[in-house]
Amino acid sequence: MERDTIRRLELLNQLRLTDSQKDDVMAFFAKREDDLKALEKIDTAETERMVHVMPIMTVVREDTVSQNFSREALQAGAPETDEGYWCVPKVVE
Amino acid sequence: MNAYAVKKNVSSDKIIVADDMMLTVDMPTTAGSKMLDGYMSLLESEALTRLKAEGYVLGGKADVGEFAIDLLGETSSRGALFADGALKNAAAQIVASGEASAAICLDANGSVRRAAAQSGLISLKPTYGTVSRYGVIPVACSGDTVSILADNTDTCGNIIDVIAGHDAKDGTSLSDELCSKLKKSAEYSPVRRVALLTSMTDGIDADVKAKLDAAVEALTKSGVEVVSVENEIIASARPAWNVLMSAELCNNVSRYDGVKYGYRAQSFNGIDELYTNSRTEAFGDLLKTAIIFGSETLSTENYMKVYDKCLRVRRVIVEEFAKIFGEFDAILMPTCSSLSYTEEQIANNRHLAFEENFYTAPASISGLPAVVAGGVQLVGSAFTERALLTAAKIIAKEGR
Amino acid sequence: MKYETVIGLEVHVELATSSKIFCSCSAHSYGAEPNSHVCPACCGMPGMLPVVNKRVVDYGMKAGMMLGCHINRTTTFDKKSYYYPDLPAAYQTTQWFAPVAVNGLVEIETSKGKKNIRIKQIHMEEDAGKLVHDIREDTTHVDFNRTSVPLIEIVSQPDLSSAEEVEAYLERLKTLLRYARVAECEMAHGTMRCDVNLSVRPEGSDKLGVRAEMKNMNSLEAIKRAIEYETARHIDAIENGTEVLKQETRRWDDIKGKSYAMRTKETAGDYRYFPDPNVMPVVIDDEWFDSIKRSLPEFPEVKRDRYITEYGLGEYDAEQLIKSIALCDCFEDAYAVCKSAKDAANWMISEVMSILNARKMTYDMLDISGKALGELILLVTGSKVGRANAKKILAAMFDDPTIEPTAYAEANGFVMSNDTGKVEAVVKAAVEADPKAVADYKGGKEKALMALFGKCMKELKGNCDPQVLKTILIDYISKV
Repeated sequence: MERDTIRRLELLNQLRLTDSQKDDVMAFFAKREDDLKALEKIDTAETERMVHVMPIMTVVREDTVSQNFSREALQAGAPETDEGYWCVPKVVE
Repeated sequence: MNAYAVKKNVSSDKIIVADDMMLTVDMPTTAGSKMLDGYMSLLESEALTRLKAEGYVLGGKADVGEFAIDLLGETSSRGALFADGALKNAAAQIVASGEASAAICLDANGSVRRAAAQSGLISLKPTYGTVSRYGVIPVACSGDTVSILADNTDTCGNIIDVIAGHDAKDGTSLSDELCSKLKKSAEYSPVRRVALLTSMTDGIDADVKAKLDAAVEALTKSGVEVVSVENEIIASARPAWNVLMSAELCNNVSRYDGVKYGYRAQSFNGIDELYTNSRTEAFGDLLKTAIIFGSETLSTENYMKVYDKCLRVRRVIVEEFAKIFGEFDAILMPTCSSLSYTEEQIANNRHLAFEENFYTAPASISGLPAVVAGGVQLVGSAFTERALLTAAKIIAKEGR
Repeated sequence: MKYETVIGLEVHVELATSSKIFCSCSAHSYGAEPNSHVCPACCGMPGMLPVVNKRVVDYGMKAGMMLGCHINRTTTFDKKSYYYPDLPAAYQTTQWFAPVAVNGLVEIETSKGKKNIRIKQIHMEEDAGKLVHDIREDTTHVDFNRTSVPLIEIVSQPDLSSAEEVEAYLERLKTLLRYARVAECEMAHGTMRCDVNLSVRPEGSDKLGVRAEMKNMNSLEAIKRAIEYETARHIDAIENGTEVLKQETRRWDDIKGKSYAMRTKETAGDYRYFPDPNVMPVVIDDEWFDSIKRSLPEFPEVKRDRYITEYGLGEYDAEQLIKSIALCDCFEDAYAVCKSAKDAANWMISEVMSILNARKMTYDMLDISGKALGELILLVTGSKVGRANAKKILAAMFDDPTIEPTAYAEANGFVMSNDTGKVEAVVKAAVEADPKAVADYKGGKEKALMALFGKCMKELKGNCDPQVLKTILIDYISKV
């Protein structure tokens, strides 16, 4: 694990770590390497991945509309709104 | 009551508390994070709604560690809870003091089970998919389970009877037919043979060893056969679960960005700084580490090597469990390495929660039911909650 | 040296469902009050879980079948993560590992003939919200109405080689998806959006050139212009070394007629896809699959051939009608009532389509009732309503699609009179009022008769069988 990788991960996750937090993360990754070696011993070549532990399929819903929440309620805890919109600093495309 | 939010003037013998991962509409829900300080939800946890409909009264909200991934709640933005030098869990304290008959909590990384083990309580983590996750703050959706904390097995049985059942609002919710196996009325075959999983006893101290011995003795005395079994694969659940949980967690907490609700940094210049400053200021260290870690496992270079590998390991673990359940009715294992964590221990190892979950990860990654009693853990195959609770009653020496 | 352009398209199409893909909010965001079709799920609040809208899968499958794809009978959803204010949960639920449809084929026709365009895949996903930049100078306003509205993304192989082919391909997609009634596909409404991947290489080379991905073209014209501009830019760079081509995302500025490299973050493209633990696999059983298969419409070409062989229409008429499923529907419904395919086709082409053109409406915007049109045609052929008045009724039907022609004709005095006494009285008055015309006619001026005829018809408000009027008129004049 390189500092460069950490920096990239900070950007990717919109976080800024202090130096001691970076050390902490590096230590965590170092342990992970050992863990991975242990996992490599488990043969999974013939095993399908398991995303869901219960082998059920999706139950679809019918295409019906219901509006149960008001904009006022949804925006009650918003840091900044204007004319019914949430607001952010100007985004340049 | 040691809750951060309390309902005043409630009197009932059916008072329950919810941990701070359960969304409530009349009290804030914060997930123990500064990010959600004062957050008022517009929806209520389905489990809570069902309990209220059966006459249970919500007495308050118990604090949790930030997004419930820590040991017992020590990473809460409100600070850790210590008593007599030992770390305590808020929900467990409330239940142990008798101020509430039970707590409903999110078991994402084993904190509920550790809390039960260390407070002499019972916890029931039901089969994945039997209790709706609607209205629960998501952490690791593939393993998140609404669990029960109580001081006796009967209360756990009463509450699971109410909250288990299909919910169309949760796409992973199982059918009523399957969920009915958890109900009081369901017939079940009792636990007769138990596998003591010796591979899971690594690192336990003398106190936990004594608890395990006591459990074996109690079971044996009541005619249950206990056989030692080794299984290294199940014992490797922890690293795989850490990967899956962190990745899902990283994705689930990406929504907290200072735009729609919750914490927004005071100063920023442009949208990226708004995101970064808000998240950096509001999130704690353990969460940040988990986010960075989880994110890396999903990167293009690592996905197949790490994440996909762990999804396959999950299936292997589930298959290993199935093999054991072919011969045994339940598996006995420790819940934690020691019966209390000191302030010093926590200060010296910031990642203890991601090591202590060695004992809880097998049931988390596989979605299997687990009951903690007498400080130890019984894991069963899917839908064996009733049998597990009955065996747990023996271990907890209830009714003697 | 000669060059060829290699183009692949990523086309996003909004599906015409009532509700969103994973929650029950209305999917009709166009023109709605900001954030009025929003719930905790689609504005990124924790605790709600995605439940798949069946119709989205229906339409995804249908689109796949229309474009000749293989349908994955087990299809799954995945999460794609990135931060942008229009994406409230900072992830988009899409299909990465097992999209609903793969390996399709679409035939297009251009001035150079027919060509097959391969479809790589069609996946279902949720749309992002809308950002509004022009309300306040320093602020971007965020509207989540469009968040989670269902989309399909149709990814082609790089089989297209010109703006003309791209146009034909997009028109073909639009026609087929509209025939299947799964989408509006209106670029002006944003219900069809298109990203263009383009590279240029020496003709005959089998090595692909440096690829540019172009975004922000909001009309077919813009797409064509962008392709031409970008092709020229690439050739110029290759031939004259005006710039070093890079694989990049470019934004089309339609006003300036230029494309610009978009500012990209270091982390761009690292989307960290992983399977969504909250959405179980969607398993399409035989019953479901067959019901969708049975619901597929006739393809345009099959319809055209049937119109010619079964209904006896001319090739031109048939070609006109199959331009839009709305025209076909109206025509077929009208035919079912009036029982004359020729009459129905004539009315469609000479009246209905010209009103649409005059009103600057697309053929797909037609919403008059075909049954009512059939009824109107019967009124004309049965000599109940004159043709001029029938046109007035048709125009009224465009304004109010609930109008029933017979009742409307009666209420407005458009029913032809069978009262010959009344016609004779009108003829008598007209002839007496204009002896010169009578004399002219008798003197051999046919035109004079037509003038008298017109006056009488006007007096009768058109409510007279022209043949009847003409007979009575000539008969009366001969007696004068």
